[in-house]
Amino acid sequence: MKKQRIVTLSTAILASALLLSACGNNTNDNGAGNPANAGQPAANNAAGDTANNGTAADPAAGASGVVTASDLSKLPDIAKKRTDTIIVGLTDPSGAFTPYFQQSGYDGNVSSLLYTPLVKVDDKGLPIPGLAEKWDVSADNLTYTYHLRKDLKFSDGTPLTADDVAFTWTILHDKSYDGDSLVNTLNIKGGDAYKAGTATSVSGIKVIDPQTISVTLDKPNASALTLLGSDVLSKAYYGKDYKQGQLDYMKKLSGSPLGTGPYKLEKFIPGQEVRMIANENYYDGKPKTEHFIYKTAQGDTWQYLETGEVDYASFSATKENIDKLKAMGFVNILPYTPSNYGYLQLNLKHPALQDKLVRQALTYGLDRQSIYVDAAQGAGQVANIPSSPISWSYTEDGINPYKYDAEKAKELLDQAGWKAGADGIREKDGQKLTIHYLGSKKPETDIFIAVAKEDYEALGIKFEPEVFADFNALVSKVEGGDYDMASFSTSLLTDPSDGLLQFVDGEIPGYEDPAFKALYDKGLATSNIDERKAVYKDIYKLLNDQLPVIFTSYKKSVYAYNGRIQNLSVSPFNGLAPSLPKWTLSQQ
Amino acid sequence: MSTIHGETTAALSSPTPQPVKPVYTSLWRQSLRRLLKNKLAVFGFVVVAFMFAACFLGPLFSPYTDNKINMAFMNKAPGLKHWLGTDALGRDVLTRVLQAGRISLTVGLASMVLSVFVGSLLGVIAGYYRGIVDQVIMRLADLLLTIPSLPLLFILGALLSEWKVPTDYRMYIVMLMLSIVGWPGLARMVRGQMLSLREREYMQATVVLGLRDRRKLFNHLLPNLVPLLIVIATLNIGGAILYESVLSYFGLGVMAPTPTWGNMIDAANNMIDFQDHPWLWIPPGFSIFATVIAINIFGDGLRDVLDPKQKR
Amino acid sequence: MSTYITKRILYMIVILFAASFLIFCLYALTPGDFITGNIKLTPERKAELREIYGLNKPVIERYAIWMKNAFHGDFGYSLSQQKPVLSLFNQYIWNSFLLAVVSTFLTWLIAVVVGVVAAYKQYSWFDTIVMVALFAAMSIPSFFIGLFLIKMLAVDWKWLPPGGMLTTGSNSTGLAYVREVIHHMMLPVMVMTLLGVGSLTRYFRSNMIDVIKQDYIRTARAKGLKERKVLFTHALRNALLPAITLVGFELPALFGGSLIIEKIFNWPGIGQLYMQSFSLRDYPLLMGFTLFIAILTVIGTLVSDILYHVADPRVRL
Repeated sequence: MKKQRIVTLSTAILASALLLSACGNNTNDNGAGNPANAGQPAANNAAGDTANNGTAADPAAGASGVVTASDLSKLPDIAKKRTDTIIVGLTDPSGAFTPYFQQSGYDGNVSSLLYTPLVKVDDKGLPIPGLAEKWDVSADNLTYTYHLRKDLKFSDGTPLTADDVAFTWTILHDKSYDGDSLVNTLNIKGGDAYKAGTATSVSGIKVIDPQTISVTLDKPNASALTLLGSDVLSKAYYGKDYKQGQLDYMKKLSGSPLGTGPYKLEKFIPGQEVRMIANENYYDGKPKTEHFIYKTAQGDTWQYLETGEVDYASFSATKENIDKLKAMGFVNILPYTPSNYGYLQLNLKHPALQDKLVRQALTYGLDRQSIYVDAAQGAGQVANIPSSPISWSYTEDGINPYKYDAEKAKELLDQAGWKAGADGIREKDGQKLTIHYLGSKKPETDIFIAVAKEDYEALGIKFEPEVFADFNALVSKVEGGDYDMASFSTSLLTDPSDGLLQFVDGEIPGYEDPAFKALYDKGLATSNIDERKAVYKDIYKLLNDQLPVIFTSYKKSVYAYNGRIQNLSVSPFNGLAPSLPKWTLSQQ
Repeated sequence: MSTIHGETTAALSSPTPQPVKPVYTSLWRQSLRRLLKNKLAVFGFVVVAFMFAACFLGPLFSPYTDNKINMAFMNKAPGLKHWLGTDALGRDVLTRVLQAGRISLTVGLASMVLSVFVGSLLGVIAGYYRGIVDQVIMRLADLLLTIPSLPLLFILGALLSEWKVPTDYRMYIVMLMLSIVGWPGLARMVRGQMLSLREREYMQATVVLGLRDRRKLFNHLLPNLVPLLIVIATLNIGGAILYESVLSYFGLGVMAPTPTWGNMIDAANNMIDFQDHPWLWIPPGFSIFATVIAINIFGDGLRDVLDPKQKR
Repeated sequence: MSTYITKRILYMIVILFAASFLIFCLYALTPGDFITGNIKLTPERKAELREIYGLNKPVIERYAIWMKNAFHGDFGYSLSQQKPVLSLFNQYIWNSFLLAVVSTFLTWLIAVVVGVVAAYKQYSWFDTIVMVALFAAMSIPSFFIGLFLIKMLAVDWKWLPPGGMLTTGSNSTGLAYVREVIHHMMLPVMVMTLLGVGSLTRYFRSNMIDVIKQDYIRTARAKGLKERKVLFTHALRNALLPAITLVGFELPALFGGSLIIEKIFNWPGIGQLYMQSFSLRDYPLLMGFTLFIAILTVIGTLVSDILYHVADPRVRL
């Protein structure tokens, strides 16, 4: 009898672990450093990239609504005992710490502390000097020149020069490069030739002197400044075995990073901790706190914060979570809106959904307030454009909020020619109006299905939900094209163009609009923020009216951290990396 | 060593198609009487019957429906209006628990019966005929045991989706396929038992007596297996009910918003719900617990009555 | 006997070949691949990456390449973690093994003792209470037991750490290290034991009930032997014999890791690694691990078949 049990149990255990993983990812935002990992597939969500983009400003970010700890004496002893160490929970760092080459966003969180980008962005999203003290953009917006700081050093004390920067950009154009950096999509002059192997260097990259480097593009792209202005790999260390077309050796170096960040890797204990130690060669001075540890924290993080095992964690901003955190007494609470947005992808190859009126009806007829705000207990906000409220490009001016209105939805459907048939389901040309919905298994999907089924059936639309066990399976079904509607959320966005990319690069098949394409290019053709703002406003209006996808929601999170930590701030675009060097632990 | 009792009660479960002789009927009655005397077993049966009745009839008397959303009544604690409180969408937990029981009970029992049937059938064949038949079945079992279930479920999910099987039926198809794939464990066990049984003295006696295969199998071997099968079957019922929620995770089980006990428990799988909303997981949890224990108690009683080796 | 074993080992090799092919196909056919889930990539870049990773080749060809490398002892690099598959196993598998060994030992110990006593006192209060507790443990999902114990023992009473294998940042070595690990593994071992003990106890109880009613026990009693001696030497030995065959089946379980437990208690085990690799479709890692478990499973069945013969020599192999 035991034998049988083992067989069934092992299957059950396997699968219920999946249940857990899904729930863990969504009810709690575990990855403290990288808020976007919540509700996202755990994979491929490189936070390193968060640090890369970003152009300009809007002051509306995070700082408001901070709750400070009411009673620090409640702080658990175990946390009090730590005097020179800060511990932050991180879902699952895997140990591959080379930027550009790593596959997991959690590793990206780690490498964002081990490396410093050439150009950082401030809390408002404006570019500020990192390793580069200044930069110039040519009048035609094609040539970018970066001026490095003097006496820059890698953490082992070796000097950092323009050659290292050139090396970094060059290998991203190698044909064997298998990471997801977008540098190779910037159309750097000579990049394609290098990739094809017909040139031995990228002609657009020019080292002018050891502290100056320039790069020339074939086509203007406003996001290039920060995309190129990212982390720098040491040529002496990462380049000694490099042959064009052969980057396999990089894997061997993934566990022993050599960077320029505020911290350097001390020890990686698989599945448990990433221990880091302050880097005395950091350009901005050695960080105040000697030790920093990312602790692997799968599943619930409550117990670790409550027992003082971690100093900092992130949670979904539900009322209950916030109340519970307040009751703890020893944590400060910082509200936060990640820079991504959620949407329902529509299959524009299906005739019914090609009709704008139907898409609008589907939006009016879906009670998004109930799904994303009420059922989420306030940890969300309804979205109507492809940009987050914290972005400088965000606007509500002239944007239709598509407030829930079943009557309006029915009207639009009638107008589109979909009339109720004998069984109450709307029909047109003998076709029934059916929405075949795909979602991945998580609590939010269950809520969505429950509400959407009720709403759409009230409109006379047949709603057929289907749920997939993981994100990968869902995407592959969507790629197969057999669906009408599917729930997604973007990765973290910095530049407004990031959120629009999916409408131009073929990710949404069937959406072709020359007017939109022209506006998209126009938005990237200039670096002037005010000009760009105007362009993006037009784009948002256009998309808000056309609705190639149904915009759904922005998530809301809170950070909770040990009240002893001083000088902590969280950048909406870079997470905790920018302020971390200044963190101190007050003694009491 | 083993007693002759096997001979007499053996006829009990004989499915032989010959006209039933009166003596069997009285044996059935006799067993039933003995079962009724076992108060615990009767209690178990009554509880199971009650669960069925409550789940299939209960929702008819509820003023709520299982899927009616009411955002104004989110996560309310049990009270006069909602006896067992409401969930995150303001749905009545009591109604949902009862509604859920319909599917959970059906699925639990059906999949239990099915998997025990398939597994024991192959085990009996392998153990009884031995030789090449045994080799083929058991080596096939070895192969199946090495197959990981995770990709298998994913592929099944994708196939059923591809073939546009209505989501309501998927669960039953999957349960069927899983018992087809999941037989090796049970089959090995039953085969082992068969190997040991056929070496017993009374089996050697049947050889001496020159009994036919069918008689040997149905009258002498199977009755001795029944107790083992009952224990396995009743032990597995809880697992089967919980397993349904695992399947729905793969898009293979019941589709939201339709509730099942497993789904309801899983929905409360986090610290906040665990601590602050116990009414979300206690009702389905207790329902599974009560069902499992009642069926096991009943199974124990049944086993005692049917076990040829038990004294009476 | 030895010809039987030789024959079985031959079969075993054939089965493993068939299994490796079947498993490879299963993973390859699972919807989505390593590239699919990365939402940042454009369709062109996705195609490019599939080319780099060889994912666009036919399954048979990929299998042949994998098999050829495996024969040379090269199980490849994990796609997502960028480390050799074998060294990753080495990093994680022993942590899982540690939990499994201890909890399996405890499970068997408790199951035997409780099963024997419950059988001896069939239908007593002790028997009833034990059974109710066991059924409760079997009908509640393990994550609830885990959450419950964390809440009570770690958060409220602070007796035990809530998870992990070491106190974060600890630099202890030697005996202090051992003590720390033991302290951390108590909660997960408790839950694993609770989960496993139910069915095994039932098994021993029902075996024991069978045995107690056998003639030779009556004979032993009639001879005037002490009850304890009758129970623990004559009866227990015979009740245990059939259970020996189960030992072989514990083999893969010892190395397979426990996904839920590892997740709830943040234990750095192989189960978690497998799960993550699966959701990323990290083929080399999945393939290596599954084949490893398959080998253990096949060995386990062989061992249990042989033990079966040892336990009950009347059974011909």
